[in-house]
Amino acid sequence: MWLRVGSLVMLAVCALVAARGHAQENNDLERIPKALQSSPPEPTPEQSNAPSPPAPRAHGKYYAEDALTLSAARDGLAVPLPTPAPSDWENRTSLDAADQWSVRRGLTATLSDRFNVTEENGVDVPSQQQIRNDFREGYVTWEPLARTYLEAGRVNLRDGIALGFNPTDFFKTRTLLDQASLDPSVVREDRLGTLMLRGQSIWSGGSASVAFAPKLYAPTPITLGIPYGLGAKFDHTNAANRILGSVNFETAGLSPQVLLYHEGTETLIGMNLSRSIGQRIIAYAEWAGGNQPSLITQSVAYGVRTGTLPADTPLLPPADAAKTDAFRSDLALGASWSSASKVTFNIEYHYHQAGLSRQEERDWFTIGTAQRNLLPVIGELWYIRAFANDQQQPWVQQQLFLRVDWADAMIPHLELAAFAFVDLYDGSSLSQLAANYYLSDAWSLGVYASANVGGARSERGSYPQAASLIIQVLRYF
Amino acid sequence: MSRIMLLIVLLGFAARLGSGAKARAADVPSTETPAAQDLVAAADRIRNPQQPFRLTDTLVEYRDGKPRDRVVLIVFAREEKDSRQYSNLVRYAEPPRDAGKMVLLHGSNMWFYDPASKASVRISPQQRLIGQASDGDVVTANLARDYTAKLVGAESLEDADRKDRRCWHLDLAAADPEAVYSRIEYWLERDTDRPVKGKYYSDSGRLLKIAYFHNYQEQLGTVRPTETIIIDAVDANLVTTMTTSDYRIQEIPDAWFQRDFLPRLKAD
Repeated sequence: MWLRVGSLVMLAVCALVAARGHAQENNDLERIPKALQSSPPEPTPEQSNAPSPPAPRAHGKYYAEDALTLSAARDGLAVPLPTPAPSDWENRTSLDAADQWSVRRGLTATLSDRFNVTEENGVDVPSQQQIRNDFREGYVTWEPLARTYLEAGRVNLRDGIALGFNPTDFFKTRTLLDQASLDPSVVREDRLGTLMLRGQSIWSGGSASVAFAPKLYAPTPITLGIPYGLGAKFDHTNAANRILGSVNFETAGLSPQVLLYHEGTETLIGMNLSRSIGQRIIAYAEWAGGNQPSLITQSVAYGVRTGTLPADTPLLPPADAAKTDAFRSDLALGASWSSASKVTFNIEYHYHQAGLSRQEERDWFTIGTAQRNLLPVIGELWYIRAFANDQQQPWVQQQLFLRVDWADAMIPHLELAAFAFVDLYDGSSLSQLAANYYLSDAWSLGVYASANVGGARSERGSYPQAASLIIQVLRYF
Repeated sequence: MSRIMLLIVLLGFAARLGSGAKARAADVPSTETPAAQDLVAAADRIRNPQQPFRLTDTLVEYRDGKPRDRVVLIVFAREEKDSRQYSNLVRYAEPPRDAGKMVLLHGSNMWFYDPASKASVRISPQQRLIGQASDGDVVTANLARDYTAKLVGAESLEDADRKDRRCWHLDLAAADPEAVYSRIEYWLERDTDRPVKGKYYSDSGRLLKIAYFHNYQEQLGTVRPTETIIIDAVDANLVTTMTTSDYRIQEIPDAWFQRDFLPRLKAD
């Protein structure tokens, strides 16, 4: 009797334990949404062989944007501005389009454009000054042989792998257009291409390209803001004959790129390379060098040539004449680290030998404060800074760039980012905190808060804009 | 006394059963037990066409049971003859804000390209895993190459449609530094070698994702899973489906797998 009962108990326990193990391994099935649990019926052979639905056509990027900027001006500048202070608010509404079409086999056309309407204090509404068109790219590509390409038109040709400063991005000069974010990775998204002819060939393990951009216009003056109007601004991008050759190849996992650039009387060579270290780190380096004048000499020469500065303008701060045209290097040395929690951190050291040395930066403030009432002097001093910005060069020789990005930060679809450019001579910084929330596939909301922080006689602390807040709404189509 | 002994025996037997698959693995006659690595290789052949190919992956993210986000990717994949490792190119077709972005995964040579900024940024193996259905899930991989498999045992398991499947339970340990996950538990249907379920673990042993493979249909001459349901083991409210369609055999030359080709990759 006891034995029969025991056997039954044993069987029941075995069944229970086995069922529990089975159920435990499938507990996760409870998490599958109900809509997914009803499987379609087993396909018939005819159905099985039916073709899949076609892939969606890959199309370009179209969106509308509104960006409201509120700025706080700084009082008591160490070196006063020779021009009126920038406006304290601006609203920009833009329609942005970038697409590519296959014209016929082997021939494609690419177009990238943005149309802007702005309102700001001090500008009449409506007025021509409110409208600006940014014709960024428009070119055709012909592929006469497999992976050999010939291109003609306005091309945004960008090289370089660093984030904050790209010594090998030779076509970056005078291409800046305004952005919601000051983040260098965003700034690049809206810049002018250069009218050029370009050839590129890609083979197994390498590629080579040559680009020639002709001089079509005489250099034009640097303006305070981006010029309004519907013009294509070729005078910004095609004011000199320029030629760039580059070769990419694979070796030791470094993916090096070697570049040779010639403009006017200057020839520069450059190289960038990168390598993955372990699972989380990428190390990278980007260098360019050649005989070139200092930033002070370059900017004064450009100001004189374009009529902004008088012909007899002295170099301020005084530059060593013997060193005005020497071999100078630009370097960006950096690393990125990424975590499992979707945080990516970048750190970069930037060296711009043509920029102002520690002593020259001090002299800039000494001269500017001592001669603050002499308009030609402070005009020239600020012109040097405007020129550096226009050329996308650092103003001083050494700076640090830090950036952190956190995708799905705390809640899904929220991306937080922050960056800082730190002047290594005076410790001042340009910093930005950014939050982007992807409301849906079509809508996105962004908030950017930035500040120029530092003492009155520091690079960033002397900047006329102390802080800004930008609220941006994007609608993708 | 004898009843107490019987109870101890019963509990001991129950404990062995409760320990699950490992205990039952011993019940499988060794002559019928296939080599674990062969099973994984057979499952690889089911998941991956043997010739260079392209396909479209549609990822739908369900939060709290409701669909929220949709990502459409076009994937080009090719097995390298020497290494037997797959190289992949991934192009974003949707959502509109990401359209045209591309990812190259070629061994340790991994790049992200954004056509808006024209920037090619090198990415680390860790960055493959960012995202619910990350590039690590989307890309084609030879698990038999990247992992050493061990047979845990024979088990009965419910698939995503709650149908009982007789499975081999395998434990895969990363054998290559480029393997996406540190460890995978893998259930393959015994009669067909079809993948039914996978559990994916991080370096620290944390369960990251659970995948159910279903909606088997014939694609490029083989019956393959056309939908993978990915349950996030970290975020309890998150489930993603990855639907695979538009399989095509495609010539993919070596020259495609470098950063300079990314701006040239067309999806049409």
